[in-house]
Amino acid sequence: MSLGKLAERLLHLVPVLLGVSVIVFLMMALTPGDPVDIMIGDQNVTPEQEQAMREDLGLDLPVHRQFFVFLGNAVQGDFGTSFYHRRPVLDVIVERLPATIELSLVALIIALVTAIPLGVLAAIRRNSILDKMATVGSLLGVSLPGFWFGILLLMLFAVHLQLLPVSGRIGFDSEIEPITHFLLIDTLLRGRPDAFWDAFKHILLPAITLGLPMTAILMRVTRTSMLEVMRQDYIVFAEAKGLKRGRILFRHALKNALIPTVSVAAIETGSLLGGNMIVETVFGWPGLGRLVVESVFLRNYPLVQAAVLFYAVTYVLLNFIADILYTTLNPRVKL
Amino acid sequence: MTSAALNSAPVAAASGAGQTIFRRNLRQFASNRLAMASVGIVVLFVLLAIFAPFIAPHDPNETDLFRRLQPPAWQTGGEWAYLLGCDALGRDILSRIIYGSRISIFIGAAVIFVATTVGIAAGLAAGYFRGWVDVAISRLVDILLSFPYLIFAIGLMAMMGPGLVNIILALAYKEWVIPCRVVRGETLATRELEYVEAARALGASSGHIMVKEILPNILSPVIVVSTIRIAHVIILEASLSFLGLGVQPPTASWGSMVADGRAHILGAWWVSTFPGLAILVLVLAINVASQGLRDAFDPRFQE
Amino acid sequence: MVRLGRVLFATAAALGVSLSAVQASELRVGFTLDAMTLDPANHRNRETETIIRNMYDGLVTRDGDMKVVPEIAESYELVSPTVYDFRIRDGITFHDGSPLTAEDVRFTLERLTAEGAMGDGQTSPRKSLLGPVESIEVRDGNTVRITLSEPWPILPAMLPFQEIVSKAFVEKVGTEGLATQVNGAGPFKLVDWRKGDAIIMERFEGYYGGAPSIEPVGKACVERAIFKIIPESASRVAALLSGDVDIINELPPFSVEQVKNNPGTDVMTVNGTRSFFVAMNMEGELFSNPKVRQAAAHAIDKDLIIDRILGGNAARIEGILSPDAFAASTDLPVYEYDPEKARALLAEAGYPDGVEVTMDTVGAYKDIAEAVASLLTKGGFNTRVAVGEGAQMTQKWRTKGGPKSGDMYFTSWGNGSLDPFDIFTPTHRTNDRGNSAGYSNPEVDRLLDEAAVELDTEKRAALYRKAEQIVNAELPYLYLWVPQDIYGVSKRLKGWRPSADSRINLHDACVD
Repeated sequence: MSLGKLAERLLHLVPVLLGVSVIVFLMMALTPGDPVDIMIGDQNVTPEQEQAMREDLGLDLPVHRQFFVFLGNAVQGDFGTSFYHRRPVLDVIVERLPATIELSLVALIIALVTAIPLGVLAAIRRNSILDKMATVGSLLGVSLPGFWFGILLLMLFAVHLQLLPVSGRIGFDSEIEPITHFLLIDTLLRGRPDAFWDAFKHILLPAITLGLPMTAILMRVTRTSMLEVMRQDYIVFAEAKGLKRGRILFRHALKNALIPTVSVAAIETGSLLGGNMIVETVFGWPGLGRLVVESVFLRNYPLVQAAVLFYAVTYVLLNFIADILYTTLNPRVKL
Repeated sequence: MTSAALNSAPVAAASGAGQTIFRRNLRQFASNRLAMASVGIVVLFVLLAIFAPFIAPHDPNETDLFRRLQPPAWQTGGEWAYLLGCDALGRDILSRIIYGSRISIFIGAAVIFVATTVGIAAGLAAGYFRGWVDVAISRLVDILLSFPYLIFAIGLMAMMGPGLVNIILALAYKEWVIPCRVVRGETLATRELEYVEAARALGASSGHIMVKEILPNILSPVIVVSTIRIAHVIILEASLSFLGLGVQPPTASWGSMVADGRAHILGAWWVSTFPGLAILVLVLAINVASQGLRDAFDPRFQE
Repeated sequence: MVRLGRVLFATAAALGVSLSAVQASELRVGFTLDAMTLDPANHRNRETETIIRNMYDGLVTRDGDMKVVPEIAESYELVSPTVYDFRIRDGITFHDGSPLTAEDVRFTLERLTAEGAMGDGQTSPRKSLLGPVESIEVRDGNTVRITLSEPWPILPAMLPFQEIVSKAFVEKVGTEGLATQVNGAGPFKLVDWRKGDAIIMERFEGYYGGAPSIEPVGKACVERAIFKIIPESASRVAALLSGDVDIINELPPFSVEQVKNNPGTDVMTVNGTRSFFVAMNMEGELFSNPKVRQAAAHAIDKDLIIDRILGGNAARIEGILSPDAFAASTDLPVYEYDPEKARALLAEAGYPDGVEVTMDTVGAYKDIAEAVASLLTKGGFNTRVAVGEGAQMTQKWRTKGGPKSGDMYFTSWGNGSLDPFDIFTPTHRTNDRGNSAGYSNPEVDRLLDEAAVELDTEKRAALYRKAEQIVNAELPYLYLWVPQDIYGVSKRLKGWRPSADSRINLHDACVD
């Protein structure tokens, strides 16, 4: 891919982000409910002070002015102050991000390590019992409502069997100084395998719940593309030449069959991030998704705006990465 | 008169060929036993939804605080008249699941209908006219795609307030981009085909070409995608209801039933479990059926 | 702890790691919401305050009987109707070891009440909680004088909500730094704030001991105290049952039995301060008719709902005030449950066939609102419950004099100070913030305004009682109940009891 193409793709981000900003802003402006009212609840306040609070939050300006103030600041990297946390929204979001990213990555890893072998096996043993079971399993995976399945897992493993913790990221006996803020990595860097194990037990159920639909999708993709590759001339030819089947499959077929899997995985990671809010709610996971849902209900406009922009950037970048992966892995395709 | 006569020839040829393929595909689909069983389950749910008042053993909204959290029939304290037990307000869970199928199925179908209609129109326009129409539509699609679906729907529900129509709109606002992308791609490919060229050479109007020449030939992939998306939309609606942004109480919705039961799950597992199971069975059946459809109708997926 | 320790030990042994020495005594609270900020002057959020109050102390606090008693103040006196003097106790230090002086107190109150005092032109959102405070000055070294612009008898009742910060520290880290850092004078120091997950605190060894009138005086009992954020109620209960936490707040009434039956856990309750009621839109044609409002009152079987849904953990009310509130009446007439009478009254009012109404509420109250609705339906009001978000409902019903639409609104109003000023005035005064019924009675307005500035306690109580008699007769609201706050606790917890102002004070709590 040339540098020009790269610049073009990045330039492509601008209208998308602008459009996303406009839509979020309009949505928030048209949504009934006043942040100051919600903030005060049923405590004492004078009308003058209510007005003063509104001015403090910049809510006294007309909507279009608010938008341009937001846009002007956002270009300079300032996304405003969270109404509730009273700190820059960027800080608040960044604090919650590691939990969300870690959860998504573990879900992704779980999906990849189960989906690829299963998909390959299903393709090799086409129409076998294993293939049929994998197919049914993958359909089941995309059909399970995450919020429900998560509750069932929680009840079974955390409450009844008491094998895994009920909520949170890590226990209180496993405290470690953060380095990367990814607990699974930090615990190892600090040489605390016990804490790693603890963090791992915390992340397991939410990651499985989150990763299940993706596992199902990736398995289908792997199986299909593996079947396709196996029909290709060069594989058939190699087989005819008498090369060992296992060698053919792993040396040649798998490498090519994984190209679509990897690109789909990159794209689907975006929906993992966006699908976090349900899982985070069910498992009390201290990530961004839960924060964003709460913020919508509390009319914490600056936080919602910044978070949605973050999601949009991530989505575009992941698609971009998917394209790059596709082209670099597959020299026959040119962007 | 003349132009009509001239036009009808290639159309007839194209659609005639289309029909035989369609019949063959349909036969192939009908021979898939698993898919047919799934269709049966879906039909069963549709019948439940339509005839709910005749099937449900109780009024789904009749509360009885003395039956609060009554367990299912086979557990101690249960009764056969309340097969799956009662919820926190003493309402019959089975009856609520039966009525809840109305919400899931209606919303699933309505969202897909609206989204597919809009998506086809937008996709045809983008793919056929290309140029600025395509740029405008594609940009909008890009923007909408980069929103996480659930956040977009949550935001819209907060903006519009609760209600059946609003849920359908909140989900359809983003859903249409999916058929739109499919249709646009297919249209781009199809518009260069000979018979379309021929129709254009014969002076057929753009509208005519899009609706009569292109649309019938790209309908299969659209139908396949739509059936898969119905399953998706049903889960999304349940997720919205789960977050408290769904249909209004006391109307039973599977998602809100799971949500209601969540607080009681330690003592009364049945309140959440059965409605969740209903979602799973319906969605699974739709997915299996649409998989069968895809295998039969979409040549690219035929192995 | 024991269980967890064992599990950990087993894990550590399995992994071949040696476990570090003896565990410190540690108390964990499973709590519904995370703090929004740790700056005591920069929020309007009860959960935030509950957490902060364990690291910061106030001028005054409340004892077990909800009486206001001196804490950082040694004593206080009313010099004139508009002047209070607070003597500051000697020998109090902040967590960083610096002494707490009268100047710190003045600075704190100034920061709360002066325009733009938070820096960047910002004013504290808590300003209005201190009403007519006009000026604060330090007199003869250790006395702080608060001057009011008009008499305001509830100042001492409102001061427990404000925590004293260190002037030097605030000037060093700024308002931005104070959001995440703590240098208070309270019994616990901040160790780590894992945002959205937990707040970890450790005992402050230099603590002055707290209010002398509240035993025991001295350092906190436990070495570490943790607020673990668990928003899901089922997960919170599960965490308690499995021994992961020692206290949980907002134990759902239907889980009470389970927690009681579990060998290691128990339930503690305290009378709450939040009144529940249904507003009837008196600007609408239907509910402008007093007969219709009476009919609705007779249609509701409060005892049934308290018994069946709230597990008996609520006190019924016939007026707006909690039975524990200042000036609460005990002799208000009761509207007995009588669906026949309800239908008869409706017929008299011109609705012989009943009426169709919609009752708005928010998601958290959906269950109970539906139960109320089903009772109303049996009494001739065919009631449909409409659930909206809090933000939408506030805008629709708390219109502050603006026009109202809708029939009924199932809602509640908190009254942490247990003073009628905080609940009676906003919900019943013409066009006030919480007047969701659209009620307007000049006589009630006059009584409420007079009571707000009346310094004689007896006279003040009489004014509120009279007002409550009037509203009980006119029924702008269906007054329902005040639920108890229910806590689940582990049996190894000692010395802690729940507080009626919903605070979770961990100073006196011990664990075996």
